[in-house]
Amino acid sequence: MHILSLRNAVYRSVTVFPSIDIEYNSVTFVTGPSGSGKSTLLRLFNGTLSPSQGQVFYCGKDIEQIDAIALRRQVLLAGQQVYLFSGSIEENFNMYYEYLGLDKPKPKAIEEYLAICQGPFASEALCDTMSGGERQRVYLAICLSFMPKVLMLDEPTSALDEQTARDVIKNIRTHCKKNEITLLVVSHDKEIVKLYADHVIELKGEEHATNC
Amino acid sequence: MQQIVELNLLQFSIVYLLLLIVLFIMKKAKIDQVKLLFVASLRMSVQLALAGLVLTYIFQNPHPLFTVSYVLVMIAFAIHRVLSKNKELNKKFKQAIALSLAISGLLIIMFFVAVIVGQSVFNPQYVIPLSGMIMGNAMTGVGLGIKTFRESTRVEQHRIDSLLNLGARPKKILLPFVNRALETALLPTLNSMVGMGIVALPGMMTGQILSGTLPMTAILYQIAIMIAICTVVCLSVFGSLYLGYKTLYNERDQINLT
Repeated sequence: MHILSLRNAVYRSVTVFPSIDIEYNSVTFVTGPSGSGKSTLLRLFNGTLSPSQGQVFYCGKDIEQIDAIALRRQVLLAGQQVYLFSGSIEENFNMYYEYLGLDKPKPKAIEEYLAICQGPFASEALCDTMSGGERQRVYLAICLSFMPKVLMLDEPTSALDEQTARDVIKNIRTHCKKNEITLLVVSHDKEIVKLYADHVIELKGEEHATNC
Repeated sequence: MQQIVELNLLQFSIVYLLLLIVLFIMKKAKIDQVKLLFVASLRMSVQLALAGLVLTYIFQNPHPLFTVSYVLVMIAFAIHRVLSKNKELNKKFKQAIALSLAISGLLIIMFFVAVIVGQSVFNPQYVIPLSGMIMGNAMTGVGLGIKTFRESTRVEQHRIDSLLNLGARPKKILLPFVNRALETALLPTLNSMVGMGIVALPGMMTGQILSGTLPMTAILYQIAIMIAICTVVCLSVFGSLYLGYKTLYNERDQINLT
């Protein structure tokens, strides 16, 4: 069963995606040179961009027919740019939850999600003074904690060292498989792709995309 | 108290000599704005001379049409000034700004002249100078509010993107920026009210006293105009931003800040 599909989508008449299908509860990696439309693809899937031509489907339904906010909460995108508010890890969780109109997460839950993302930090730790890699893991933990149906990660390990990157992806993969979350990851790390991908979508720029 | 001394033109022209001091200091400090100094002085003189001529004519031949036209030109100029500094804004945002400036300006002008002063809203002697102060301040306020809003959303683009990606509503994401910009736009007016009468005597009051008005009358006018200015700034900035920010996202909840 395909949870996400895209048919002949064109974005701003430059980026063309012929046909892409994402299988339910699979781990799919998106690779390709910069400018080939990897981030655009993820944004088309969660509706923060609309294709100028073509269609995008979620669970078989054209996403234009689905409430945009509801869609984004189910097809959640952790963007390339980490954004954390000024304050502690816990305050960041609370802030994001408040923005989404949700109750504060339990400290135990925060701890669990941090652990999945290889973040053995105290929840009172201040994000302002953390390193880029630490901030990236906190950000991933926040995104993961929303428990979407599809989790899309845009270069989630760009600020991490090789080993940590692998551990983080491995843990997230296990977590997603267990909770029936479909995982879609943009990554440049060939090793990680080889180790953890069920499927690979290779974007080649202007014209083609192939589903392998 | 005596009536104001009419300035003798020859005597008056001596004031331009003061600019030599400015010129001298600019040369010494290597400030390369000599041309601007000349252009600014010249433009000011010519523009004010024209305004003087027009006002003289209107005061001698009062007609509602003249008063209304003068005020409309002022409002159009205020709108033009704000929009010319924000060319990249989308069309609807610009309309929101124009509408807010025009409506809040007109409202406060009419309220001030008709209710506070108790004069006809077509009396040029009251309507024109008061409109100038009200529209001038509204223009500065809206300019500052829009600038703050655009700069802060640009600086915090990642925050906006991140919240949007996670499924926060555009309204909830943008409102904090709107409120902060409104606050920033209001502060100069509030601060000037705090210092008023101690640090300096405000322009309108000075003018009235010079022309022979009793100080107690002058302060009443000054207090009234400050409250009017505070209100017009608040209203016009609020209107511009609250109507404007809604033009930044579409029915698919996608945010486009330009």
